[in-house]
Amino acid sequence: MPRELMSIENLSVIYKTDLETVRAVNGVSITLEKGKTLGIVGETGAGKTTLALSLMRLLPKATGRITEGRVILQDQDLYKLSEIEMKSIRGNLVSMIFQDPMTSLNPIMKVGDQIAESLILHNDEKLTKEQISARVEETLTLVGIPPFRKNDYPHQFSGGMKQRVVIAIALACKPQLLIADEPTTALDVTIQAQVLSMMADLKEALDTAMIMITHDIGIVAQICDYVAVMYAGEIIEYGTIQDIFDHSREHHPYTVGLFGSIPDLKHKTRRLSPIDGLMPDPTMLPRGCAFSPRCPKCEPLCKDQKPPDRDNNGHRIRCYFVGGAQ
Amino acid sequence: MTRYVINRIFLLIPIALGVTFIVFTIMNLTPSDPGRIMLGEMADREAVSQLNRELGFYDPFFVRYFNYVAGAVRLDFGVSFRSGRPVFEEIFLRFPNTLNLAFLAVICAAAVGIPLGILSAVKQYSHIDTVSRIISMLFAAAPVFFLGMMGIYIFSLRLQWLPAFGASTWEHFILPVITLSIPSAASLLRLTRSTMLETINQDYIRTARAKGASERRVIFRHALKNALLPIITILGMNFGFLLGGAILIENVFSIPGLGQLLVNSIRLMDIPQVMASTLFLALLFTLIILVVDLMYSFIDPRIKAKYSKIK
Ligand SMILES: Nc1ncnc2c1ncn2[C@@H]1O[C@H](COP(=O)(O)OP(=O)(O)O)[C@@H](O)[C@H]1O
Ligand SMILES: [Mg+2]
Repeated sequence: MPRELMSIENLSVIYKTDLETVRAVNGVSITLEKGKTLGIVGETGAGKTTLALSLMRLLPKATGRITEGRVILQDQDLYKLSEIEMKSIRGNLVSMIFQDPMTSLNPIMKVGDQIAESLILHNDEKLTKEQISARVEETLTLVGIPPFRKNDYPHQFSGGMKQRVVIAIALACKPQLLIADEPTTALDVTIQAQVLSMMADLKEALDTAMIMITHDIGIVAQICDYVAVMYAGEIIEYGTIQDIFDHSREHHPYTVGLFGSIPDLKHKTRRLSPIDGLMPDPTMLPRGCAFSPRCPKCEPLCKDQKPPDRDNNGHRIRCYFVGGAQ
Repeated sequence: MTRYVINRIFLLIPIALGVTFIVFTIMNLTPSDPGRIMLGEMADREAVSQLNRELGFYDPFFVRYFNYVAGAVRLDFGVSFRSGRPVFEEIFLRFPNTLNLAFLAVICAAAVGIPLGILSAVKQYSHIDTVSRIISMLFAAAPVFFLGMMGIYIFSLRLQWLPAFGASTWEHFILPVITLSIPSAASLLRLTRSTMLETINQDYIRTARAKGASERRVIFRHALKNALLPIITILGMNFGFLLGGAILIENVFSIPGLGQLLVNSIRLMDIPQVMASTLFLALLFTLIILVVDLMYSFIDPRIKAKYSKIK
């Protein structure tokens, strides 16, 4: 029996300014199981961050709008909750880690206080001051920072250490779901590996589900259970990690291009290789398949109508010509 | 830290030399006759040049400047040509009025400008924001003497609510303080708004929201504290400017303060008084900036760390 944690149903998000309307997320549907890791891969501008922010209801107020769709988290419709109810979910049931650790911490607050803040805001267990302080030290140890450093300020930490603090903040309340938006992109390669393996261990230890947003195929291969490939605000291919990395299977032409030749799971992986052409302007998306202008297999039909999802035992591909049950 | 403060205080010496040299030069570009000022129009020419000679007024420029500095080092800044009293006696007689004026004006400006600026930023693009932006734009550009005269016309002459001239009661201070604080309040509002907006868009504010912090907590605990640094700078600078900038207001409202003293001394070419008054204002301004800098280190651990490294 699948233990469903979150289901995203037909989610669409726009950014509306006086000048233009950016269609950042277009009809995304994914479900996520408890304790599993979903990787979301795609080029810059594909709408990954926007998707993540809409799950937290943290889109920029002035411009971001959710135009349709639902997000169900443990039988609660997140978009029907009041702001107060949503507040008690953020940082508690669902946490988020942002891309740049250098700017993600408040420069004038001690890191210990920044971790404690999460605990104080969601103090369901009525912890005392001493207990909270003990929990802060525990959490710091968990992410590999000596507890005595809780009285230091962010500028006294290196980039990798800062990201550990950010992770500590996100995990302080032992969330059900951790959304990590390119958590290692801003770090040195050596540090990247450390932080990643630490995240994988913690996820295992706390039984937290994770959405790992990245454009690094290596990361996907390393820690994901499921993979969604995002393009121009759509999920164009979705499947288990075995589905996605299986040479013998058919893949979306974009995925094929994105992965270059899809690397073997057992071998050293590499970064996404660029594909000729650019992603369509999200203010003027093509009528048919969003990838059609760059697609080597494009037919007139593709330019005219959106292709359907073809499903083969949960391995979904949004294309007329590939995928589906064989 | 202590070391840093001592260094900064030693910096006052070149500043004092620079200020006195510039003012001394400017004052010497204009023809003047101190003997005549001191002895009056009726005195005979012989006595006037005798006195000028005693004052060293006929010595070459650099000799006179050197003598001035030599006197200043012994804390002898000379006597006012006009009143014959030591110049700093004249300054301290009037300084409390100026200090009151500037201090109250800064408080008023902060009390109005900062909260409105925060509100304007938090409710960006709302009606409150639009209105306070337009009003602050108008007032930031309004000349103080014009505001002062309008104030006198409306509240003193027409409504007869408040006295227009002098400094004898606290009621005398209401109009000048308000007038003086209006442009400061307006510029403070604009600055608070823009720094708050900038801070609110920082990543760490998003982190705070993602933790589940309430909007109030995000604004006051996270954003405002970070936005406070530039606000405090401007507040300190304003205080400095208002100390000197009270010149106009003191003249509009006939308040016997430092500004009025300075203007009158310039008019009369009372060189020792002008020198001492400008020197006093310059050093005061520098000290205020130092205090502001030190306040930084209490708010921002990064700056504190930088000061400690200078050791
Ligand atoms: N605040 C915003 N206002 C307007 N457009 C935005 C905003 N944030 C992102 N976008 C646009 O939305 C699209 C998706 O962006 P984003 O979600 O950041 O993509 P990714 O995280 O995959 O790089 C991009 O075209 C981007 O320019
Ligand atoms: Mg992004």
